[in-house]
Order: sequence, then C-alpha cells, then structure tokens
Amino acid sequence: MTQVISKSDLMVWLGRLSESHTLIAPVNDAEITLFRRVSNVEDIALDFTNTTLSAKEWFFPPTETLFSVERKDGQVELVPAEKMEESVIFGVRPCDALGIALLDRPFLNEPADAIYRRHRDKTILIGLSCREAHPECFCTSMGTAPDDPSNVDVLLTEVADGYIVQAVTEKGKAILPQDLLKESDVTPPSPPSLSTVSVEGIEDAMLRNFDSIYWERLADRCLHCNLCAYVCPACYCFDVRDYNDKGKIQRVRSWESCQSPGFTTIAGGYDRRAGKGPHLRQRFSHKLLYFPREFGSAACTGCGRCVKVCPVNIDIREVIADVQNLGGKSGQ
Amino acid sequence: MQQIRDKAKELLTSQAVDCVIGYGRATDGVTSRPLFVYEPEQVEELIFDKTCTHNLTKYLLNRRGKKTGIVVKPCDSRAINVLLNEEEIKRDEVYIIGVVCDGVVETRWNQVGEEKQARCQYCHQHTPVVYDFLVGEPPEESPPAPEDYAAVAEIEAKSLSEREAFWTEHFDRCCRCYACRQVCPGCYCTECFVDRLDPLWVGIRIAPEENRIWHTIRAFHLAGRCAGCNECERVCPMNIPLSLLNRKLVKEVDELFGFQAGLNEEEMQPLGTFKKEEKLGIGE
Repeated sequence: MTQVISKSDLMVWLGRLSESHTLIAPVNDAEITLFRRVSNVEDIALDFTNTTLSAKEWFFPPTETLFSVERKDGQVELVPAEKMEESVIFGVRPCDALGIALLDRPFLNEPADAIYRRHRDKTILIGLSCREAHPECFCTSMGTAPDDPSNVDVLLTEVADGYIVQAVTEKGKAILPQDLLKESDVTPPSPPSLSTVSVEGIEDAMLRNFDSIYWERLADRCLHCNLCAYVCPACYCFDVRDYNDKGKIQRVRSWESCQSPGFTTIAGGYDRRAGKGPHLRQRFSHKLLYFPREFGSAACTGCGRCVKVCPVNIDIREVIADVQNLGGKSGQ
Repeated sequence: MQQIRDKAKELLTSQAVDCVIGYGRATDGVTSRPLFVYEPEQVEELIFDKTCTHNLTKYLLNRRGKKTGIVVKPCDSRAINVLLNEEEIKRDEVYIIGVVCDGVVETRWNQVGEEKQARCQYCHQHTPVVYDFLVGEPPEESPPAPEDYAAVAEIEAKSLSEREAFWTEHFDRCCRCYACRQVCPGCYCTECFVDRLDPLWVGIRIAPEENRIWHTIRAFHLAGRCAGCNECERVCPMNIPLSLLNRKLVKEVDELFGFQAGLNEEEMQPLGTFKKEEKLGIGE
C-alpha cells in the first residue's frame, strides 16, 4: 500500500506549510519558470517541465552577504549574515536534488561553508518525479532517475487522481499531513525513457586529450558567457568582494564562472588558462575529471539545462562522446 | 545552400581563407548552430535555412589577422560595416558570403517557430549591404519605409513610474550571465566597464540595482552602433526584452541624426564623431 494525497489536498498541505515555513516553489514569470517565494499557493506552477534556474539558487544564491562590519561607539563590530528562515522547497526534480547533493561535497567538506550549511539545515526538500522527459534530459546517465527519491526529504509522484507521497528522511516524515493522506493500491507510472550518454572511461579520455586541438575547435563556437554555469545545478564558482556602503562594510559572495574573462587572471595580468580553448576545457575538465577525482562522481546531473540554453549549442553529451572517440595518447 | 558549400570549398581549396564560418545543424536535429569549416571535405555540413538566426560576425573579432570566409544575412552584414568603420576588422581579411534573406523564424532548443521573428517583420533589408559573393536573387528592394517603432512607442506611452516598474521587474530576473554581451558584435571592449575594478563602476552583486546599471549602460554604449540582429534578446535565458532598449536608442539616433547603424562602411556613427555644424546647445 502507498500513501496518496489528492490534488486539492496537496494545495491545502502547501498552504499549511506556507504558514509554518517560507515556501519556495516553481512560479511562472515572463514565460519562464523559477523557484520563488510563494505566499499564495495558487501561484504555484504545477505543470512546469523544469525551472530555468535550478533550486541551487536557494542554497548558493546569485548574491549573498556573508557578514558585515559596522562601526559602533568607536568600536568595530562584526555582524553575521541575517538569520535564515525555515524553508520548504516544493517541486524539486530529481536532477536538481542530485545537484544539491553534489554541492554538499565541496561546501560541506570540512571546514564546511557555514552559510551554505545553514541554508541546508533550514531547508526541507519536497521532490517531484518527472512524468515527461525532454530531448535534453539525460539524468539516468548521471546516476539519478526521473523517479529517484535519493536526495529529497519527501518525494511526490503524480498519479491519476493525486500524488503518491513517499517520506524519505525523518525531516520529511515530520512534515507529512497525516490527516490528508489516504492509503491506496495505486502503482506509480513507469518513468519516461530519456537520452543517454556513456561516461565510461571519461576521466581517462579527458586526460588523454588534454592537449587536443578539439578544445580550440569547440571554443571557436563558444561565446564564453556564464550561462551554462549559472543554470547548472552543480556549478559552484563564486567571487567575493567587500562593499563599503556609507561606512557599513559588507562582504558579498556572487556567482562567477570559469568562462568569465579574467577568471584565472592573477597579479600582473597573467592568465594561466589564457585562450579560449583552455578556458572551455576547464568547464568540462572540472565536471568530468577533477570533481570525480576529488569527490567521487561527475559534477553533472543530466538536467540538460546547459544543452537547452546554450546560444550556440555546446551540448555536453556530444562533448562526452567526442572526447571518448578522440585518439589521444594514454593518460596517467 | 549548395552555392554556399561550393563557394566555401573553393575558398578553402584555393587557400583564399583558412576558415569559413557558416551554419550547421544543432544536436536537436532541427535548429542550427555556428559551424567553423577548416577543411574542404567538411563543407557538406554547411546548411542555410529559416533557423539560421545567429549573427556570426561576432566571431570575426576572434580572427583578426586571419583570412576568414563568413556567411551573413542582411542584418548581420550591417554589423560588418560597423566593425569595419570602427577598424576592428580589415576588409581584405574577410570574404563575405552574403545571403538574400526573407526573414528567419523564432527558434528555441528543439523548437522551430512558424512565424518570422518580430524584427524580420519590420525589416526591409533583404539583400546584404556588403558582400563578395551573393547567394540568392536580390528582390527589388521596396523604397525604405519609415522604421516601425510601434513596440518602443508602447513603452514610451507609459508614465515614468510605470516604465520604472516595467524595467525593474525585468532586470530583477537578470542573472548577469552576460550572454547578451558575449553574443553582441558591438561588445568588444578589451575590458568591459562591468569587469573593471578600478574605478569600480558596477559591483559583482547580482541584484536589481547593479542589473539596471548594467543594462542601461550597455544600451547607451550601443547607441548608433546596434544594427538590430537582436541576438542579445534571443540568448537571454530570463526573457528580458532587450530589443526594446536597443530599439529605443535606434529610434533616438534615427530621429536626432537620421542615422541607422551599418548601412554603409564609411559613415561615422554619430556618437563617435563631432561636426562643427552640430549644435552645442550651450548659451542658446
């Protein structure tokens, strides 16, 4: 037997959660869908495919103040970042949930990033299985699946008259609306099938082809914008600067990307990854070689956002296949 | 399409150029993407159809000093004139394969629209303004109709506070990925004002205030230089209607100076020159 919630009761539950927590959910805005704070559950987009930006932005926001420094009575005082609200994010797809699990590795690796940890500790994830796959989806190649409950607290799977509710963690179990759940013998629909790419041996292939002209040729087309990195659930580069706002100093962290001009420029103006080829190679090397060696798996969730939004169609699936087929000399 | 392939093959075989930049099929199988052809055998991958929306002239800036063939639509060809006028590229380093164009359609990943893009609906330039080899039959150009600024007029009709609310809402979504800048042939500063640290013009914060400064200054920097390819709007993941900002400046420059960017190579863009007969507006 499984537990099921009806569509109207789901709204009742989310309404209750919005009273006890900050509720974050997919909202349609200017023909795109984004995770936004929701005060009225009717604003929630239930029929979304996937959001333009992943749920990453609620753990690793585009911009956040890490701390500020103020002068008071001749003393300098260090003020920690604002307290974070207890939040629930509804509608997290399994690919995005994997993305958060991937971000945990660098950010929670000791010494952990205290701000990120607070976001994580204060947030409950309600996942939503995918009923449809899109041509850019390839999550099953990256270790998750359209119905994977692994990285969320509660997983909902849409069935004819509601959603199957599956509590995955204790945190998830604690927020279940027992009065709204019904026992049912409904079986979950079979997950959609999607495009696949083999990542077998990709680390070695990346090493073998480090100096290949392939990267220069691929970079011919690349515009070196930050789009792929910003939509990626697993990219986590940032920049930190101090701001002086009328005597109040703020230390701010903002998204940044390896494709940015000057990303690896150091004192004296020297860029150790000068050139478009090495710049672009870094993106794929980090995802497919360095991150796996450091943290055990590729820094890609197969969500396909980069494939979908790249203005010049740099398709990571094609890159993976190409690199495996290149005949570079054996790696180390 | 075959004409483009044949010309590309000829240019590469005779080593008149070492690369031809054109269009190839994207991995979705239905839209197109920029294609760099280095070998004569590779020319069969070149395509041209209603999905070829990219303005490839941006890539010429990465190929200074190298002989390059390039496929351009009429709108793209105007950007070539802008770059020639600004001495960013050299005419004898570029071989231009111009394509007569009746408009391209809206495309998104795996989606090809039926209707012509909005900019194509008011475009009356069907033959490239500069080319070495022309593909297609040039239609009899209709006499230049007054520019269609209806979309701009709609925003202008709003009150100041309505306009502010309109743009604030859009700029609020901006994630500052700079795809708009990176795709723009007019954005080629060695150091963009937004990347400059000393003096710091705009901070790294991805927030409404900074986003507004970014988009406003970028629009001003393109005044009299934007040839209207609209790539910035196409690539924006956040659906910010950047064409409205650019068209507003096109309209202002058109009304003030009777000038439209890139129609010829010689004429200096109004904000890049100063003539003694221009009114100073001081002490009048």
